[in-house]
Amino acid sequence: MTNRLSRLAVCVGLSFALAPAASAHHSQSEYDLRSKVDVEGAVTKVEWRSPHVWVYVDVTNNKGEKVNWSFELPSPVTLMRRGWTRDSLKAGDRIKVSGAPAKNFPTIAIANSIRDDNGKPLFTGTTQIYEPEAESKESR
Amino acid sequence: MTPAVVRAIIRAVARAVWPAVLLFVLVTGPVVAGAQWLTYRTPGIPRLANGAPNLKAPAPRTPEGKPDFSGMWFANVPSRDYCKEKDCIQEERMAREQINLGIKLKDGLPYTEWSKEQMKTRRANGGREDPHAYCMPPNFPRAWTLPQHSRIVQTPSMMVVLHEFNAAYREVYLDGRPLPVNPNPTWNGYSTGHWEGDTLVIETNGIRDDMWLDIQGSPVTESARITERLRRVNFGLLQIEIAVNDPKAYTRPWSVTIEMAVQVDTQMLEEICLDNEKDTKLFKK
Repeated sequence: MTNRLSRLAVCVGLSFALAPAASAHHSQSEYDLRSKVDVEGAVTKVEWRSPHVWVYVDVTNNKGEKVNWSFELPSPVTLMRRGWTRDSLKAGDRIKVSGAPAKNFPTIAIANSIRDDNGKPLFTGTTQIYEPEAESKESR
Repeated sequence: MTPAVVRAIIRAVARAVWPAVLLFVLVTGPVVAGAQWLTYRTPGIPRLANGAPNLKAPAPRTPEGKPDFSGMWFANVPSRDYCKEKDCIQEERMAREQINLGIKLKDGLPYTEWSKEQMKTRRANGGREDPHAYCMPPNFPRAWTLPQHSRIVQTPSMMVVLHEFNAAYREVYLDGRPLPVNPNPTWNGYSTGHWEGDTLVIETNGIRDDMWLDIQGSPVTESARITERLRRVNFGLLQIEIAVNDPKAYTRPWSVTIEMAVQVDTQMLEEICLDNEKDTKLFKK
């Protein structure tokens, strides 16, 4: 658990930077980055559009009720550069998602991890990046 | 010829043809299957024996002998993996200057009292008035630091900078014209460039009064004169010194230098922010 929390802390990126780093276009005030949400369920819809991909998941809560969660992902452009396509997730797929919840909306969150039913990460792609040597270390 | 001999001949031919079929599939497969050109090799660039771009090759030059800045660029930040288990969706390469353009200055940016007040309000509101948060255009010089790509197209009389965010463009006139007097303010202002040796010096005025330079809300206003000095160190690296002289927002002129890395074997991908914008509703309540 600690490992998962620390991973989230690292992933969500260095305090203040999180939301902007994640999405670039929106404010850092939307999500409670200190909190964590973990759900699993079936994908009901994927909106593969800019500026952010949204994935909707039917989750059964502890009262046995079905609740539809909305998860925000990076832009399609970012995801494509990391190997995802618009077909990577589709309605009916069962997934486990963890992320940080919206401050003021109970079933909206920003996703930090998406795994399949067996716990295998679905988001593992990276693109080839060539890094020129910086002129000075300071500039990195 | 017995049936057994015929079958043996067919098998031999099939074995001989199979590698050719495989080769054909390998060669044509990616072309057919690839929806975009995200891994398509950029032609005409210096490469090493292993096929990787030769980032240390000399900066290319135009037929007129000027450094050629043409190409795709992204902030030169390491692609280190922030997430050990590699399923961290939100991991992105990001220039530190995206948050604070003056991050490398020992004392930070020299804000005027007016700027300090602006930033106090912006911080108190969680940055929700950031024009970028509302899908406004990627204003330069901030646009250099955003996590989308730029493409420079250079001709002898003009440099055009395309930007993925909102499929935006910026023009830099290289034909010797002066900056406009009393210009109508715009998101990118008006830019002219001239050469000082191998450095392209871009002067800009006429930007709007309410622009942000970074996520933390460092202001830049209509009173600003911005100078960008572009130097292509080698094939892989572009250095940009950004100097801001804005007496309304800063107590003195200041400058920072950022670095951009060339991006090859890829393509520009449009990112139209207003296409399906849903975050601004999350700011409310």
